[in-house]
Amino acid sequence: MHLPDGIVPIEFALAGYGASAAMAALALSRIKALPDPDAEIPRVAMLTTVFFAASLVAIPVPPTSVHLMLAGLMGVMLGWFAVPAILVGLFLQAVLFGHGGITTLGLNGVILGLPALMAFGIWRIGARRWPDIAGFVAGSGAVMAALAIFSAIVLAGLPVTLDASAERVALGVFLLAHLPLAVAEGVVVMALLRVLRRVEPRLLPHV
Amino acid sequence: MSDPALSPRARLVIALVLAFGIAAIKGLAVLALAVCLAAGVALASGQARLVLRRLRGVAVLASGLLLALSLIVGESVLARVGPLALRQEGLEAGVLIAVRLLSIVALTLALLAPLSPFQLVGALRGLRAPALMADLALLTLRYLDEVSGELRRAHLARRLRGGRTGWRTLREHAGVLATGLIRAQARSERVWAAMRLRGYNSGLAMPVAPLRAMDWVCMGGALLAALGIIWLDRIF
Repeated sequence: MHLPDGIVPIEFALAGYGASAAMAALALSRIKALPDPDAEIPRVAMLTTVFFAASLVAIPVPPTSVHLMLAGLMGVMLGWFAVPAILVGLFLQAVLFGHGGITTLGLNGVILGLPALMAFGIWRIGARRWPDIAGFVAGSGAVMAALAIFSAIVLAGLPVTLDASAERVALGVFLLAHLPLAVAEGVVVMALLRVLRRVEPRLLPHV
Repeated sequence: MSDPALSPRARLVIALVLAFGIAAIKGLAVLALAVCLAAGVALASGQARLVLRRLRGVAVLASGLLLALSLIVGESVLARVGPLALRQEGLEAGVLIAVRLLSIVALTLALLAPLSPFQLVGALRGLRAPALMADLALLTLRYLDEVSGELRRAHLARRLRGGRTGWRTLREHAGVLATGLIRAQARSERVWAAMRLRGYNSGLAMPVAPLRAMDWVCMGGALLAALGIIWLDRIF
């Protein structure tokens, strides 16, 4: 779900940096209000490392295989820390692997960060009474939200000379192709949260 | 890792400035200049082989975009092969996007991939990135290899024990991931204890060295190059 470099107009890339900076500033202000934010850094870093490594693993989902996005799970488990963790992960991917983009880092931060915060909200509201449903909706909802933001950015960034209807058809196919990922991610997040609730509930806030 | 000729902070600024300069190109006329710039940076940094190796995956993506846009987008048909039509507008858009993408990734890798994690995070701190994000980056880099290895071994063990296939693997993958997260939680408690014992006080990154004359010259040169590319693009 990353936008690579060179694909969107420069104005969008700069606006993306502005939006991500605002999102990061909001998240950091919420984090500073915690009793001991420094104590959370090792936990967030270790969990981020797991998410980073896990997203590189291909999981067979017939007829193909998918790489889990895990933005929803990051939102559920990290809360406001998900935003700096996602931005750090995107920066490291762009610099170390040439994956994602350095000019589109801001936009990619929005594509993944907003759904992570949405998943955090869903979990906070639904975790106590409907944990399985909240987990599934957080996981798959984050994927759908990221797809929607990604598609909106690509469509809005189309040069006027290009045929918008052809691009819309291509995006429609792209969205349909990602439906199995959304379902797979919802199932994985729900099953994972079920295990953690039983074995290590300290990893889950708001339960 | 030895001190690079250019400071890490200068490298990061140069990478960002040149990347945005190339991303701002809207026409085909100056694309060759962007390619020359990226190639020049890769050769000057001594990382040409590394860049070519790491560009393979990106080249596949760029080719895919070029092909898709050439066949789907546009009205003016340049050539036909059976039901497939090569369209001029799509080809131009595809070439523009592909060259921008490859040039930006090449110069980013050439400038930043040789830096050690400490130097990279130091560069971020030097550009006033929040200490929390810099420390997150450093700890993530420090433990990434270990955690990746653990997850790989866990997935291999699952397969060797006759793990299920198809949709039924999802619950097993969730279990492997849950185990990884629980181990990460336990490791983080040990790391935090060690950090406190060593007197951690918001800032793991090394102190930021001041910029040298060479750094300023190169950053200025990069800014001029980026502005020059944009100016040439606008007039041609």
